[in-house]
Amino acid sequence: MINTIILSYVTFGYFGAFILYLLMMVMGRATFGRLASLLSVVGLGAQSLAIILRWVESYQLGIGHAPFSNLYESLIFFSWTITLLYLIVEWRTKNRTLGVFVMPLAFLAMAYASFSPNIASRIQPLIPALKSNWLITHVITCFFAYAAFGISFGLSLMYFLKLVDNEKRNNTFLKLIPRKGILDDLNYQMVAIGFLMLTLGIITGSVWAYSAWGRYWGWDPKETWSLITWFIYAAVLHSRMVRGWTGKKIAIMSIIGFFCVLITYFGVNYLAGLHSYATT
Amino acid sequence: MAKSTSKTKSNSVWRFFSSVKLTIVLLIILAITSILGTIIPQMPQRESVEFARGLSPGMFKLFSFINLFDMYHSLWFRLIIGCLALNLIICSIDRFPATLKQFRFRPGADRNKPFQDLPLNQTFFVEGNVEDTANQVARFIKGRYKKIKRKHAGDRYYFLSEKGKYSRFGVYLVHLSVLIIVIGGLIGSFFGFDGYINIVEGEQIDAIKLRKQTTPLKLGFEVRCDKFTVDFYENGAPREYRSELSFFVNGKEVEKENLLVNHPIKFRGITFYQSSYGKTPGNKVRLKIVRHANEHESIGMEAEQGNSFPLPGKEGQFQVLKVDANLRGMMGPAALISIHAEQGDETRFWIFQNWETLQNRFPKQMLQSPMLNSSAFKPYTFYLEGLESKFYTGLQVNRDPGVSLVWIGSFLMIGGFFVTFFMSHRRIWVRVSNAKRGSTISIAGTSNKDPVGLERELAHLSINLNGYLNKRK
Ligand code: HEM
Repeated sequence: MINTIILSYVTFGYFGAFILYLLMMVMGRATFGRLASLLSVVGLGAQSLAIILRWVESYQLGIGHAPFSNLYESLIFFSWTITLLYLIVEWRTKNRTLGVFVMPLAFLAMAYASFSPNIASRIQPLIPALKSNWLITHVITCFFAYAAFGISFGLSLMYFLKLVDNEKRNNTFLKLIPRKGILDDLNYQMVAIGFLMLTLGIITGSVWAYSAWGRYWGWDPKETWSLITWFIYAAVLHSRMVRGWTGKKIAIMSIIGFFCVLITYFGVNYLAGLHSYATT
Repeated sequence: MAKSTSKTKSNSVWRFFSSVKLTIVLLIILAITSILGTIIPQMPQRESVEFARGLSPGMFKLFSFINLFDMYHSLWFRLIIGCLALNLIICSIDRFPATLKQFRFRPGADRNKPFQDLPLNQTFFVEGNVEDTANQVARFIKGRYKKIKRKHAGDRYYFLSEKGKYSRFGVYLVHLSVLIIVIGGLIGSFFGFDGYINIVEGEQIDAIKLRKQTTPLKLGFEVRCDKFTVDFYENGAPREYRSELSFFVNGKEVEKENLLVNHPIKFRGITFYQSSYGKTPGNKVRLKIVRHANEHESIGMEAEQGNSFPLPGKEGQFQVLKVDANLRGMMGPAALISIHAEQGDETRFWIFQNWETLQNRFPKQMLQSPMLNSSAFKPYTFYLEGLESKFYTGLQVNRDPGVSLVWIGSFLMIGGFFVTFFMSHRRIWVRVSNAKRGSTISIAGTSNKDPVGLERELAHLSINLNGYLNKRK
């Protein structure tokens, strides 16, 4: 299958992009940054092509469906959304430093999908419960939410690094990180986009659950963890209204929020429930 | 939302529930307590019973007392949600008057305060007389903004336009939608039900079983499963389940529909979902009857339960009394045969499909009962070749009168997010003032949020207006 071959090259491409972003930060040379962006864009293009090929291939196998149906495909899509969103942010802010913190997420997702022995890369047919257009919107919105929260996580790490930066410490890496105020603003924007997308994801998931199982909410562990994540980010949004809650508290909560995202995504496969990819 | 007005209200309960700090604390408490229920398996699941068995009696008592086996439906969990709702209501009531004031506030167009400390790119010089320039500015602005206020004071002309003032209510929309969803959930849990039923192909039911009660619930109509089919992919995974259902009211058929996974059927406010399926023995069996006479005579036949058939040698009649898919839970498919001879008593015995394996598995003595002797009626031996099996379809049957509120709330919430996150209430002022051999144009603005977006808009407006005015010259 050609799509999996392309995807394994993309994995290395994203790793290369990460290394180049890192070199840019450590050596303070913009050329590396430009190369890193180029490599990320090419990687994203190749990945998009691979996803489309996979989609087409599933139709050729006679079991056609959008490529978002098992853990392998979801990891690929997660990596795609986070790279896309990151490149948009890079282009809008004209700043590449975030790449060092975000590209590893894209790379790790790809690496996990490609190299973990427990994850099948074969195209599998859809069981009846997964045959729903709501599933497609559900997956797309959820993964854009995860990507936005992933970027917010990266920004929060940068915030903490920037805290230890000062005049005396002449560190290129820390100098290149934008001001705390900018990081905090951008973090808020990412949380807002993520929150909107997560809400959409939860709603489309509810509509799907309602048509498949007859209830829109069943306190299944994955549903519950998505709600926990939602509570945490709602708290993040509201902490901006409380005077005295500085960027540090918000950064901590964003990091906790992203751990909740990871549990919602992976941890829940080890708890019982309808969503675990292994059993459905 | 606007600033709190609670300084005027000294009631401490009110102040407590109008604080955003409380909101954050409640949200975090909800997050932490919700985790418990994902670690402790919750009640309808099988794992829950196993988990409970592993606990010491003391722990078990404690866990049951605080409802940890069904915590999301417990009183304390609902109380936390109730507190959040109260927090939300009081906070909104508290802040609404101030928002309304800001919404209604109409600043004069001839204010100079917004023009203090303008960035350099937002003032520029245009040649020509003030009045002409002002008219051109008016024409330009009209093309871009609605509702423009104009004012002429001394040798200065002012223009004020406002947009997005309704966006101040977006937050209230979001918060209202949270309440609507909570209310929808409550209505569902008080006035809805959650049940299931298995219907064998060809049979009909008029009641279902409820998950939380033992008495069945009468539907008020009948449902028949005409046919159930399942088909598979090549790798053996199921592709589609399909139940063909007919609905009857007072014995008259009113609707016929196919039920698929993900495509529920709604009938008289009650929704049916395809949820499982299985097989049960039907009422037909395949028999082989051997007559040990001079010549062994063997015939195969299909017999329906309850009907009488003549024996091949006309010695009497026989009947299949009972069919069991797995007798006593371990003996496999079996049928109870009853024979009435022309003269004499009835003879009854069980016959088994897996007789050979039974003989190997059980001690000889156990199988010597006359009830298990398939040759009890001479000169015949009966063999069970197979049972006809029938599908039954497993349906989930629900009623949830709150669900439309939940969807309405969800819809409003998304709309509210767009308004709060992507819109803001902006006021843009343009001032044209007399200068030596021309006029000075200044552009200023205020916004309730998103200062970066406002800056971008003002910069844009300056460039375009500058271009427009200078091209005309
Ligand atoms: C789960 C329930 C809640 C959700 C989903 C929610 C959602 C939101 C959202 C999306 C915003 C806009 C944030 C922004 O513009 O950055 C907001 C703002 C706000 N919320 Fe909530 N909220 C909830 C509960 C509450 C409660 C219980 C209170 C009660 C005090 C509250 C008070 C506020 C206030 C004061 C604002 C500030 C509005 C402003 O001036 O910009 N929220 N909320």
